[in-house]
Amino acid sequence: MKKLLWLSAAFAVCALFAAPVFAKDEFHLYNWNNYIAPETVKRFEDFCKCTVVQTYYSSNEELLAKLAAGAKGYDMLVPTTNAVDALIKGKRLQPLDHSQLPNLKNIDPRYLNTPFDPGNKYSVPYAMSTTIIGYNDVKMKELGLPTDTWAVIFEPKYLEKVKGRITVLDDENELFAAALKYLGYSVNDVDEKHWKEAQALINKAKPYWAAFNASSYIKELTVGNIWLVHGYSNDIFQANLDAQAAKRPFHLVQGMPKEGAVLAVDNMVIPKDAPRPDLALKFMNFMLEGKNSSELTNLIGSGNPNLDAVKYIKPEILKNPAIFPTKEVAARLEQLKDLTVAQRRLRSRMWTEIKAGH
Amino acid sequence: MSSATARRSARLGRWLVSGPPVLYLFVFFAVPTLIMVLASFRTPGEFGGLAPLVEDGKLDLNLESYARFFSEAIYAEIFLKSVWYALATTFFCLALAYPLAALIARSPKRYRDLLLLLVILPFWSNFLIRIYAWMIILGPNAALARTVNGILRWFGHEPVPLLFSSFAVLVCLVYVSLPFMVLPLYANLEKHDQALLDAAQDLGANAWQRFWRITFPLSLPGVFAGSALVFIPALGIFAIPDILGGPEDSLIGNVIKQQFLETRDWPFGSVLSIVLTVAALAIAGFAAWVARRNLGTPSSARKVSA
Amino acid sequence: MRSKRGITLWIAAGAGYAFLYVPLIIVIVYSFNNSRLNAEWVGFTLNWYDTLFHDQNMIFAAGNSLAIALTASFVSTVLGTAAGVAMYRYPTKLLSVLVLAPIAIPEILMGVSLLIFFVLLNFTLGLVSVALAHIAFCIGFVAIVVRARLAGMDESLTEAARDCGASPWQTFRYITLPLIMPGVIAGALMAFTLSIDDFVITFFTAGAGTVTLPLQIYSMIKIAVTPEVNAVSSLLMLLTLALIIIASRVSPTILRSQEGLS
Repeated sequence: MKKLLWLSAAFAVCALFAAPVFAKDEFHLYNWNNYIAPETVKRFEDFCKCTVVQTYYSSNEELLAKLAAGAKGYDMLVPTTNAVDALIKGKRLQPLDHSQLPNLKNIDPRYLNTPFDPGNKYSVPYAMSTTIIGYNDVKMKELGLPTDTWAVIFEPKYLEKVKGRITVLDDENELFAAALKYLGYSVNDVDEKHWKEAQALINKAKPYWAAFNASSYIKELTVGNIWLVHGYSNDIFQANLDAQAAKRPFHLVQGMPKEGAVLAVDNMVIPKDAPRPDLALKFMNFMLEGKNSSELTNLIGSGNPNLDAVKYIKPEILKNPAIFPTKEVAARLEQLKDLTVAQRRLRSRMWTEIKAGH
Repeated sequence: MSSATARRSARLGRWLVSGPPVLYLFVFFAVPTLIMVLASFRTPGEFGGLAPLVEDGKLDLNLESYARFFSEAIYAEIFLKSVWYALATTFFCLALAYPLAALIARSPKRYRDLLLLLVILPFWSNFLIRIYAWMIILGPNAALARTVNGILRWFGHEPVPLLFSSFAVLVCLVYVSLPFMVLPLYANLEKHDQALLDAAQDLGANAWQRFWRITFPLSLPGVFAGSALVFIPALGIFAIPDILGGPEDSLIGNVIKQQFLETRDWPFGSVLSIVLTVAALAIAGFAAWVARRNLGTPSSARKVSA
Repeated sequence: MRSKRGITLWIAAGAGYAFLYVPLIIVIVYSFNNSRLNAEWVGFTLNWYDTLFHDQNMIFAAGNSLAIALTASFVSTVLGTAAGVAMYRYPTKLLSVLVLAPIAIPEILMGVSLLIFFVLLNFTLGLVSVALAHIAFCIGFVAIVVRARLAGMDESLTEAARDCGASPWQTFRYITLPLIMPGVIAGALMAFTLSIDDFVITFFTAGAGTVTLPLQIYSMIKIAVTPEVNAVSSLLMLLTLALIIIASRVSPTILRSQEGLS
């Protein structure tokens, strides 16, 4: 018995220490899961003669926490707007050498030169999504509910009809943003009075909501348990594909609220202590090519800031105003800014009060 | 062996036994945790993490975060709610686990290992898909919800959602904690001498008396071990309310997670964590003290029945 | 009388097993579900197993998880048994706190603190850092079960052994250890379970190229946790079960509880 125990222990320990020692160049990409098409990765590996080592995170906050605690070894990250804001202000990124990014000219100027990164010193847009309403078209028609306004999420007169069949995102920034937009304010409004109004609005609507959920709501929407969601445009797009594949008798449609919504742009950035910034820049330029960039859009229905990619994207996706907003719609979209400590604390307390039943 | 060498080897034995775990836990638990305890006295970094410890040559330590915790009642409220959930979880786990552990302990040796493995086997699958399986079971169109709501409708009651509710959270809490109650109980019940029970039966004790006056008292160490291993982790859980809780089922674990992730307020997160840990240890200590005082030791129970 | 009690026990235990297995059966059945989502049954397919066999990342992640779990449960069982014995024989407040606190402390705090600690020491993050972290939180579980097993143990046996001239190590190896073995095994099983499914602490202590199964799976939470996950879980359960059965055949004493010296 002892021999067997020692043997299995030795095996396990060896397995641990037997880290693969490959001589090939490695490019460490820390990205969202399923946020790059497998063909694109393969093509890049052939192009750069390196191995792409992908690890994943599923929220910006997790990424920020891990970096703040000191994790390193990543060559590239793909954070969203407000996280990029925080990383730049926290001096965690290295400036980009634009001479190595000739394809940067492909990006729609609308998405360049943001207030938090003028001149794109540190970041380059990768893909985007909007946070909107997703709904079951059959049910909404049946109940006679509007699908182009945040009112359907916040007003009890509409909510009564979908009580228990609606979820909202479990994200304080997103939900407050939607509430603020509905009340007519900017998503980046930091006036405490306006926040209190938003909180009151949320509390009034809360009894009708099934849950605050950012992870399992999409599959509930797809199978028809939930009829209306506050969610991300990519997710709703994907949900519809799944619903059609399962031959369900309804479609899942994205509804862009007329009051406006949050635009989330994911950017490629390079951490200050990246081991291989050269590979990272190569990857960036590679992804700025229209064809490579289009593959993700075709895969998951994400928005694409790359003008050169347009000719490679499937027409039905191009026509979708939630994914490719028209000029009027785009005017009403806003990107989220990062908040100061005091503001984060205030919002956190309000959020805790909301979720504890106050 | 002379008494001096006996004493020396006893002391050596003591160091060999307590030393390694204490050393390991000191290095890989106490020291890292002390770093975060220190963090509870610091200020959050403007963009995340912590502000520098030494600002302009001065040590930046304060009691701000502690003051916030003690001045805002809502955190204590949520904490009490979590204690309730954890207590309920422990109680239901005990009720479900006891027969399981007893059955396994009483089974012939050939089957014991297999039965025990069967208890733990489901928990080697991934947590997420097990919870998703519960979402399927509790879904509004599934058999269970339809039956329950059908009965309620018959009584003229409004239909209740099984999913996205406190019920769902509790069921899943019990589910994920069950093996941690079964295993300690089994480890204890396994050594119970059947001869005691046979003797009691011969003396006229019925099944209930045999259980309540012999088996249960003897199994108390197992009950306490299992309860500790269920109650304490259940206090800090956040994933289950996140995935299938209702709009007001947030627990203290969710608030703590929020401080570290969304709010990026590590000092306050540390304060909440420290309070949680201290409270958990205090409750465990208190329960152990109550047990020792009121219920006596198992050996006294044995004397009574003999 | 005897049979009546037996039936109640069987029914109650049966209910317990049913509670444990209905979700698991759903998990296994849904690994054959012809839908990307784990939400409703659509149709039968073997595609997900096929996807799994071609998914190098998932298989690699599963392998890593298994290696970490085996190592972590082995070390934490050894250290936890020692701690449990120490808590019984030489109880001190320090030991109790050191053992219980990792169980109480929220995982996210422990994960962040360990990450900061490793970074301070310039320790490269990877599988080893994850294993070290797992051991830290598993020790307590083993210790508590072993201590509970020792409670109320008949000291006369160990005293007799001592009187016969056995050294403390011999007493432990030949008397105490066999008596506490079911507790040790129970602790080891718990440690393995905790390690193989841990997410939060693993997330923070994993390195830039480290992937374990929970990390891989949780990252899918925002898109879709496909039946491929059900497939890998089913196979992993099967594999671990097979390993244990083989181990117990090879050395029959490994799982058998010792009857004691009676």
